[in-house]
Amino acid sequence: MIQIAGLVKNYGVTPVLRGVQLHVAAGEFVTLVGPNGAGKSTLMRIVATLLKPTAGEVKIGGWALPQHGDRVRRYIGLVSHQTLLYGDLTAAENLHFYARLYSVPDAEVRIGRALKQVGLAARQRDPVRTFSRGMMQRLTIARATLHEPEVLLLDEPYTGLDQDAAQLLDDLLLREQADGRTILLITHDLVHGLDLCDRMAILNRGKIVASLNSHEVTSSDFLELYAAHTGRKEAAGGK
Amino acid sequence: MAKLALSLPKRGRWQVAEQSQGIPVARPQATTSSFWTAVWSIVWKDLRIEQHTRQTLSVMLMFSLVVVVMFNFALSTDLDAARQVSTGLLWATIILAGTLGLNRSLSIERENQTIDALLIAPVDRRGIYLAKVISVTIFTLLLEVALVFIFTIFFNKPFWQPAALLVLFLGTIGYVAAGVLVTSMTIQTRSREVLLPILLLPIVLPLILPAAIATAEIVSLQPQMDTVNSSISLIAAYDLAILAVGFFSYPFLVES
Amino acid sequence: MNMTRLNRTVAVLNVLAFLSLLVSIGFIFLYAPVERSMGNVQRIFYFHVGTAWVGSIAFFVALVAGILYLWRPQRRWDTIALSSVEVGLVFLTVTTAAGSVWGKPAWNTWWEWSPRLTLITIAWLVYAAYFMLRGAIEDEEKRGRFAAVYVIVSFVSIILAYVSIRIWRDIHPVVFGGTLESAQGAEQGLQDIAPGLASMRMGITLTVNVVSFSLIYVAWLMNRIRLQLLKDQVTTLKMRVAARLQGG
Repeated sequence: MIQIAGLVKNYGVTPVLRGVQLHVAAGEFVTLVGPNGAGKSTLMRIVATLLKPTAGEVKIGGWALPQHGDRVRRYIGLVSHQTLLYGDLTAAENLHFYARLYSVPDAEVRIGRALKQVGLAARQRDPVRTFSRGMMQRLTIARATLHEPEVLLLDEPYTGLDQDAAQLLDDLLLREQADGRTILLITHDLVHGLDLCDRMAILNRGKIVASLNSHEVTSSDFLELYAAHTGRKEAAGGK
Repeated sequence: MAKLALSLPKRGRWQVAEQSQGIPVARPQATTSSFWTAVWSIVWKDLRIEQHTRQTLSVMLMFSLVVVVMFNFALSTDLDAARQVSTGLLWATIILAGTLGLNRSLSIERENQTIDALLIAPVDRRGIYLAKVISVTIFTLLLEVALVFIFTIFFNKPFWQPAALLVLFLGTIGYVAAGVLVTSMTIQTRSREVLLPILLLPIVLPLILPAAIATAEIVSLQPQMDTVNSSISLIAAYDLAILAVGFFSYPFLVES
Repeated sequence: MNMTRLNRTVAVLNVLAFLSLLVSIGFIFLYAPVERSMGNVQRIFYFHVGTAWVGSIAFFVALVAGILYLWRPQRRWDTIALSSVEVGLVFLTVTTAAGSVWGKPAWNTWWEWSPRLTLITIAWLVYAAYFMLRGAIEDEEKRGRFAAVYVIVSFVSIILAYVSIRIWRDIHPVVFGGTLESAQGAEQGLQDIAPGLASMRMGITLTVNVVSFSLIYVAWLMNRIRLQLLKDQVTTLKMRVAARLQGG
């Protein structure tokens, strides 16, 4: 579903991504981890059609980016670390707006259902800026999945969530996965990411340095591996 | 293309309703109707926010009042002088208050980075530009309704005449068309609000000068209609040219 | 591209530009006749028209470079646009200063808010703001894109202003000081000058000046572009050194 090959992105003369290689199959749940500054968010923005790659190939559903960005946008849902919600609109109004942008059919029914799913039906007439971080994040998920995207991209969705909210997000993600969506999750919460996904990939210094089936490794093994892959590089960088 | 066909689940979701020869074709998004649906939904959203907060209009109006009172105070020794400069003052007030409206309207999209949501939606980027022009124009026109009322009372000149209103309407479109384009740039820079007037005011002067001259003619005792007519055609030409430039170059300002 | 050494074309252009400046000064002071009503002050007129011509060419070049940048975002288009606006702004300033010196004996005032002078002021402000915009953006690629869009908008706006002073003057020769305007405009300036040999000599001097100022513009632009390329080279080298130090 998502094919990335030899992806390079430079900001000016500073390289951020140096030849990223990543395939995400349809229906697969891949978690991407890496230290700060590894280029995770840049990679996410490129896949989300928000940023143009400097070189290399990015395809979603077989369509090459950025040329065919307008063809794949309908199939993408994005949860970024910003809420992408209008604080001065109510929860229902926010969803209505996005439903119209995506020309979602039966908007009323879907919005009602989505609000119920994320447990915000009672607060739907309140302005979003009065919501807690957790509620906002739940609404963000509802917004991102309202048009039933094939590909769900999540950039650090756990930031600022308490235990309960994180649990709710986990449940939502598992439900989305059961629905057959392709999910790409970026997080720095290693263990959390490992539990949910099918495959873990480690991004360090603009490259995928490891990719492994998460059902086959224990979390302690993975932590060791992560330290080896990112720590070694950093030690080298410190010389 | 074939890959998309394979990857799509077989539950028959609504997006893949259009299947031709087994290859699902992502809906071409560039149809006219979907373009205008997107434009109007963004305008609707902006109006809704304003309905909830009333921030843009109230700030613009209060600012205008302050400007008018301040100038009246400065010119109070000579009421005739105040009347003489009233058209210039009207336009100066509009463009200064307008920068507040522009900044507000475009910074809304930066607050929670909702601009990203607009950009990943299957919406033509030029539609976002048009929508922003429409909604800021609506706010500015509403402000002008109040200003026409105030200026007619304070300066005892017939600003409510249809010709004057037409000039106001056309001038506002061109001003906002240039304004949305420039604000989309300045809002993404370090200096943000500070930079907007420096960039925008010189660019709209070629529009504001004929607009102010035409308005002055219209409200004068013996208006010279050929000046008014030529000014109006100049304003219309500016509107069309800047709208065209904005329409085609806006995507370059939001893509990176 | 290795630009550390002075490119031969640039070197030749520099010499040519210098020589042509000498020639045009020679023409202005030795060849061109003394103008009847204004006397020797009129000689500044050749400088005025020459620089004004280069100013408009420079901004047009910037417009084209801006469009090309949006079409194919390559660094060189941005470099050309930046260099051209910079040189153009200098010439525009010279035009204004020369015009002001000319205006004092002609209209007995340094400055007159006539449409044409208002237009020049607007153009000056618009293009000066171009550097404000550039200065406020860190990211090089974004700076290029924004600057390109801005240069296009500015040009359209200036063109409209130019059209508008034309239209107004046609309708209101008296209100906007038709005689003043025609004395001040380049083409009209020539028409007002006495017929015969004198005006032919003036015409030749003007042509020589326009050509030599164009040469100066091209040379200046090339030097400015070269300077920018050197700057870029330095940045790249710095980055490389930093990367080497960091990477061990």
